[in-house]
Amino acid sequence: MQKSALHKIHDWLWEIPKSTRSDMRVPARVYATEEMLDAIVRDRSLDQLVNVATLPGIRGWAVAMPDVHEGYGFPIGGIAAVDLDEGVISPGGIGYDINCGVRLLRSHQTASAMAPSLPTLVHSVAREIPSGVGRGGPLRLNKHDLDLVLGGGAARAVESGYGEEGDLERIESRGTLEGADPAAVSDHAHDRGSDQLGTIGSGNHFVEIDRVAMVFDTVAAQQLGLEQERVVILIHTGSRGLGHQVATDFLKRMVGSMHRYGITIPDRELACAPFRSPEGQQYFHAMAAAANFAFANRQVITAGIRRAWKHEFGADGDLEMVYDVAHNVAKVERHEIGEVLVHRKGATRAFLGQPVLIPGSMGTASYVLMGQSGAMEQSFGSSCHGAGRVMSRTRARHEIDATELRARLKNGGIVVEAGSAKGLVEEAPEAYKDIDAVVDIVDRAGIAKKVARLVPIGVIKG
Amino acid sequence: MIEVVEHTADIRLRISGASIEELFRDALRGTMQLLRPDLDERSVQREIAVEAADRTTLLIDFLNEALSHAHVHREAYDDAVFTTLTETRVVAQLHGREARAFGDDVKAVTYHEAEIRQPRPAEAGPHIWSVTIVYDI
Repeated sequence: MQKSALHKIHDWLWEIPKSTRSDMRVPARVYATEEMLDAIVRDRSLDQLVNVATLPGIRGWAVAMPDVHEGYGFPIGGIAAVDLDEGVISPGGIGYDINCGVRLLRSHQTASAMAPSLPTLVHSVAREIPSGVGRGGPLRLNKHDLDLVLGGGAARAVESGYGEEGDLERIESRGTLEGADPAAVSDHAHDRGSDQLGTIGSGNHFVEIDRVAMVFDTVAAQQLGLEQERVVILIHTGSRGLGHQVATDFLKRMVGSMHRYGITIPDRELACAPFRSPEGQQYFHAMAAAANFAFANRQVITAGIRRAWKHEFGADGDLEMVYDVAHNVAKVERHEIGEVLVHRKGATRAFLGQPVLIPGSMGTASYVLMGQSGAMEQSFGSSCHGAGRVMSRTRARHEIDATELRARLKNGGIVVEAGSAKGLVEEAPEAYKDIDAVVDIVDRAGIAKKVARLVPIGVIKG
Repeated sequence: MIEVVEHTADIRLRISGASIEELFRDALRGTMQLLRPDLDERSVQREIAVEAADRTTLLIDFLNEALSHAHVHREAYDDAVFTTLTETRVVAQLHGREARAFGDDVKAVTYHEAEIRQPRPAEAGPHIWSVTIVYDI
């Protein structure tokens, strides 16, 4: 996509007109400064966004957040709202990691007070929370117990002793999506998920210990129990192999069924089915079940971190939930254009007054934002989800030295436990966009306002 | 032949082979290499059968089926013997070894950009089949 194809609406908003390609059903919009746009047009993000604008039943705009980057099918950072009766549901609009999301916990410690304990604590958390890649985790669920998790989500984890009832109040949808049907989840998916509850996986997933480095909105920060120098914990993971298999199963099924519904799409990875069709409804129910698995996964991980914290700090070791929010999911929501199915692929729900958690890279910063009315008017109640990659993993491995990176992080006061040097360099700060600039855009656009900036002091990676 | 091609967030492999069988086999090897398995000595065999509407979809579905078995059984496959390989159906016996663990996760093999290309004209030399595959990792 050439930059000249985009029309400038604001300093932070650009539009690709519907006339750009004959199969577009709506325009496409991207939130970015001109400098960011220069980088975005270097990969295929915007071509993929135009493909999204061709989906049957799409309403308003196909939207890309400032952290947008090339994915497969949808770009990462993409949002699409579709009509419930005339529109489709596309597993590619949610992604393979269904309900990949972020959870924020707050501690009673300050960064300076806990500095001597930090290396031990990072090690203890790493021992409690395995990556689970190709090994599995400590829990092995039989089909009956797994189905209870798929139906109940975080609530089932709490019932089983992994947390407190109050935790559920601070999770999107209280940690349980309605309509989840374990019977819609295949045997393969059950098998892949049976030993993965309580594991973070690899790639960009992590547990991070942060300090609140800056408060932008004192009132909102107080509402969330955040204050300068307070230590908080970010958890970033999703539905692991179970969700990956649900997406694989239904993409295959929809690739095979689209012709029956007369659907043609520019990329097979956008395979879809009418939302009201049997295929569409079964995927929606299976996706909800996988989303519940992810909510439960973050709840079980929370219990592990709480154990480590209690072990280190005793009576002063309580960790309280701030919020938990998904950034890969589809939900039926009411917006100004009516009731629609909102696909969020690497985009965070940002309803008015709702906490929005934006994880950055391990050496820079993460943000706590709060949803604003502009999100409801412009982006179907959605915000960005992270910094967004700019460097391929291959290039990162060639250009970044693991020893130098470890030293740099150590000099920056960050204690790191990583499963592999390869995984560490692939997630190096320079592989990502400037998160401060990304967050500035959604703040300026009135989508989500800045509440607090978090800086890492401990990183645990799979 | 397996080549790694740049992709901003995920992994893109270009696979080529002198025959469709070789293309499928090298694509299987490339997929398994991405898992970076820590291999055990014990060898394994697993039979899989997949049907699809066309050859490209068949390849992606075949790789996803193999990937699912690799994850579920903790195995990595480095060879396949095809008893049936048509445009729409593949039956294959996968050969490999048990894995103690995987170094990396591969979530799925995507259909994005995948298109098995026709052989070059005979005068260009050996027939080369090729496909580009994007993996979600």
